[in-house]
Amino acid sequence: MLSFDMATNQRREQLVNSHSGSAGVYHRYHIETRSAPNLYPSPSRFLVKVGKVGLAKLIVTELVHYRNWKVVQSRPCLYGVFSGPVGGFAPRPKYCVGCLRCTTQFPDFVKVLKNPERQKLGDSFISPDQVDTILYETSTGTVPVRGAGYRGKFGGKGWDGMWTDMSEIVRPTRDGIHGREYISTEVDIGDKPMSLSFDAQGNPSGELPRAFPIGVPMIFDVPPASVQTQQYFSILQSAASHVQTLVVVPIKPMLAYELPSVSVVPLVSPTEQSELKRLSISPALIEMASWDKRLLDAIHEIHPKSLVALRMEYGEDLLKYIDSGIKNFHLVANYHGMTRDGRFVLDAIRDVHDSLVKAGVREEVTLIGSGGVAAAEHVPKAIICGVDAVALDVPLLIALQAKLHGDCVNISSQVELPQNLPSEWATQRIKNLASSWRDQLLEILGAMGMREVRRLRGEIGRAMFQTQLEHEAFAGIEGYHG
Amino acid sequence: MVKLNSKSPEQMITEKHVLALREGFHRWASLELGKMPALGDARWTADLIYANWVQAETGRPPSNGLNFQTGNSEGGFDLLDFKFLPESKWLPASQEPDTSIPLNKRAYDKKIQIPIPFYGGGMSYGSISEQIMLSRARAAKKWGTFTSTGEGGYPDSLVQYKDNVITQIATGLFGVREETIQNAPIVEFKYAQGAKPGLGGHLLGDKTTMAVAKIRESVPWVSLFSPFPFHSVYCVEDHRKHIDWVKATNPEALVSVKVSTPTDVDMVAVGSYYAGAHIIHIDGSYGGTGAAPEIAKKNIAMPIEFAIPRVHEHLVKEGIRDEVVLMSSGGIRTAYDIAKAIALGADGCVIGTAELVALGCTRCSNCERGRGCPFGLTTTDPELSQLVDPDWGAERISNLYKSLQFQLRDILRKLGLKSVKELRGRKDLLIYRGNHV
Repeated sequence: MLSFDMATNQRREQLVNSHSGSAGVYHRYHIETRSAPNLYPSPSRFLVKVGKVGLAKLIVTELVHYRNWKVVQSRPCLYGVFSGPVGGFAPRPKYCVGCLRCTTQFPDFVKVLKNPERQKLGDSFISPDQVDTILYETSTGTVPVRGAGYRGKFGGKGWDGMWTDMSEIVRPTRDGIHGREYISTEVDIGDKPMSLSFDAQGNPSGELPRAFPIGVPMIFDVPPASVQTQQYFSILQSAASHVQTLVVVPIKPMLAYELPSVSVVPLVSPTEQSELKRLSISPALIEMASWDKRLLDAIHEIHPKSLVALRMEYGEDLLKYIDSGIKNFHLVANYHGMTRDGRFVLDAIRDVHDSLVKAGVREEVTLIGSGGVAAAEHVPKAIICGVDAVALDVPLLIALQAKLHGDCVNISSQVELPQNLPSEWATQRIKNLASSWRDQLLEILGAMGMREVRRLRGEIGRAMFQTQLEHEAFAGIEGYHG
Repeated sequence: MVKLNSKSPEQMITEKHVLALREGFHRWASLELGKMPALGDARWTADLIYANWVQAETGRPPSNGLNFQTGNSEGGFDLLDFKFLPESKWLPASQEPDTSIPLNKRAYDKKIQIPIPFYGGGMSYGSISEQIMLSRARAAKKWGTFTSTGEGGYPDSLVQYKDNVITQIATGLFGVREETIQNAPIVEFKYAQGAKPGLGGHLLGDKTTMAVAKIRESVPWVSLFSPFPFHSVYCVEDHRKHIDWVKATNPEALVSVKVSTPTDVDMVAVGSYYAGAHIIHIDGSYGGTGAAPEIAKKNIAMPIEFAIPRVHEHLVKEGIRDEVVLMSSGGIRTAYDIAKAIALGADGCVIGTAELVALGCTRCSNCERGRGCPFGLTTTDPELSQLVDPDWGAERISNLYKSLQFQLRDILRKLGLKSVKELRGRKDLLIYRGNHV
C-alpha cells in the first residue's frame, strides 16, 4: 500500500510537474479502524434509582409465592443494570439504555431518570447527543445504527432545516456502502484551470492543473491555543497521514515540534515570512493567515512546488484574491459556525459558492470551510452548499474526550485534553472518527446514487430546505405567512 | 400474582413479567404515578405514548388531560390544527361519518374497500416477532383492513389471515415465494423506506436467528443488508415489468408501490401510476424502522407532511388523481395526524410505530441490538417474544383502531363532513399554529 506521502508526491508530481509521472499502484482507499474505548467513562445517559425497601418486599413476596429462586431472581433488565453482585440493591446505570422496562414493571420503587451530568456534555452548539454520537463513532469507527424512527425536532435552524435528496429508481450506483461499486470520497485541493491549451506541436502551452487529492473531504484545523501541544499536533499529523488528509498547524510550532510532512499545512502570517526558509520540505499546501502580496511572493520563491491557500473570514470578496493568483481558500467561521456578520455557515457557504459560479471561476478554485461542523451529516450538507471540503475542529477534541470549559467558540476557548493522553489511542480515535464520518458520507452519496463526492459540491438540487418545502406545502393554509 | 399449579419456572417467569408489564402500562397511563421522567421525545412525547396506551386499553381517547393529538416536534403535523365549525353546525352525534376508503380506484381489477382509512405497515419477521405479526394480522382481520409482511417472509401461522395480509416484495427479495404472492390480495413493492431512504433494509446479525434465516433463506447470525435499489429496475419502465410479474403470478392482486420522499417524489408517483400501480404509498423520512443508520433518519428525504401535498397536487394536475390511491406513512402517530395527512391530500395512512406503542413500545430505540426489544416486540428471541400474547396484542391494536376511528368521526363531524373521502385535499380546513422557520 502506498503511504500518503508517496501517493501525494506521485500525484503531485504527476499533476503539477510532468503529466507523465508513474501511474502508481492502484489501491482502494480504506481507513483502518480498531476498537478504541473511552479512556474514562462518559456520564451514563440515565440514572437508575431503586427503592431498597420496595425491592426487599418484592423479593420476599415472590419467594413466598413462587418458592423458586430462579423465578424470583428473574429481573426485567436485559442489559445488566441489575446483574451486579447484589442485583437491584446496587443498580449499575452505566448499562442502562433507557428502555424503561424496569420502571414500567415496578413503578412503585424503580425510577429511571435522565442524567443531569450528561446534559452538561458539549456546549451551546454541540449537544450532549452529538457528543455521545462522536464518542461512539470514535470508539468503534462504525456508523451508528439504531432502531425506531427519528426522535428529534421536526427541523430547525442551520443544518437542521436541510435534508439531502435520494434517488428512488434511476441511479448510477447500487448498494451504497455495502455494494460492489466504489464510491470515491477523494477531493482535489489546488489550482484547476477551466481548460487546457496546447501549442501547434500538441504540447500544453497554458496554465496546467496544480492539485493533489485528499482521501476524504475533511481536513483538521488549527486547534484552540490551550491544546496546541507537541503531542496533540503530532497526533493530528499522524492521523492526517493515515487518513490521507491534511492538518493545519501554525508554522512556529510546526518547526519547533519538527512536524514537517506532506500532510501538514503550515499556517503562516505575514510576520512569519522568514520561517518559510526553515522548512525542511516543501509542503503540499501552505496557508497564508491573511492576505499579503509579499508573503505570497516569498512562498512562490522559496517553495515553488507548494500550493497556496488563503485563510479568511466568510464575507470577504474572493474575486480580488483570485485575480491576484489565489486559487485555494480556507473560509473560517467560529467553531459554532457563526460568521463575523452573524450568519450561519450554511448561508455563507452558499453565497460564496454562488458568487464564484456567477463569476465563472468556481471550477478553478478550492474552498475549504471551517466552523459549524459537529456531526457526520454536516459534512455532506456543507459540501452541497458549496465547499469542496470542511475543516474539523471541536469534534476532534471531543473524540479525545477533551473537557470543554464553557463554550468552545474559537481559538481562545479553554479546552483540556485528558492527562496522560496515549498518542496511539488518540490517533486511532481520530482515524475512527474519520472512517465513521466517511462511511456516513458514503451512505448519503449512495442514497443519492452518486459515485464521487466531487459531484456533490454545490449541488443544491440535491438538497431540500425547510423554508422552501414548508412554503410549498403549507401556502394557503390559514395562519401560514411564509 | 401467577397461579403456580404445575408451571415450569420458565412459564412462571414469563407470566410474572407479563402481569407486571400489563399492570404497569395501565398504572402509568392512568397518571396515578405521574409521568416517567425519561419517557418520550419530541416526536413521541410521554403524553402521546400514555395516550396511546389508554386507547389500546379502552378503545377511546384519554380524558385525563393527556395531549393525544400532537407531539412536541415544533413542525409538520404538530403545528397544524383543524378549523372546526361552530358547534351549531356540527353533524349530529347520531350521524356517524363514513371512514371507509377504497384501495382500488382503477376501472378494472378487484375492488377492495377498508372501513378505516389506514392499515398496518410492513414489519418483517426478524425485525418483529411472530407473535407481533399475528397480533397485527388478527386486528387487521377483525377490522377488515390490512397488515404487511415487510421484507422477511411469510410465516405459516399467517396464512389463515391471508385475506388481510399484504405481501411485501423488497429489494432483498427475502422470503418472497410464488405462494406468498398468490396468497396476497395486495402485493407491495417496497422501493424505499422513509427511515432509511436509498439504503435498503438492515437486519443485524444478532436478530438473524435460525428461524429468521430459514424463512429468509439466508445464513443464521449474519447481518442482512438489502441492496438498494432493486437490481432489476433501472428506470420507471422496468418498474412496469415488476408489476407485470406480480400480475402474472397473481392476476387478482392489487399492487402497491412504496417509495420514500425525494424531491421528485411527485414524478415517481406519476411513473408508478403509469406502470400500473393501484396504490402509491409514500413513506416520509420520520418513519419507524427496526434498524437504520442514525444519519439516514433525519437527513435524507423530506418529511411526509411536505410530500403529501406535493404528490397530491401533481396527480391532480396530471388528471390522474382519482384513478390511484395515495397512502402516506412515516410519522403518523395519532388520529389527528391521519386526518391532517388526508386533508393535505392523502387518501389514507399506513401506521406502524403507533401499533407497537399500543403493545408497550417506549420508543427506546434499542430494537436492533442483542436480543432485541426488551418488551418482546422487535425481537425474535424465544423468551422475550413470549411477553406478547397474540390475542392480547390483537385486542390492544384493535382498541387503538377503534379509538382512531372514533376520533376521526369526531373530527369529520366537527368539520361538517359526512365521509373521510370528503376531507381529502382540504387544506382549507387546516390552520397553521406555528411560527415558520
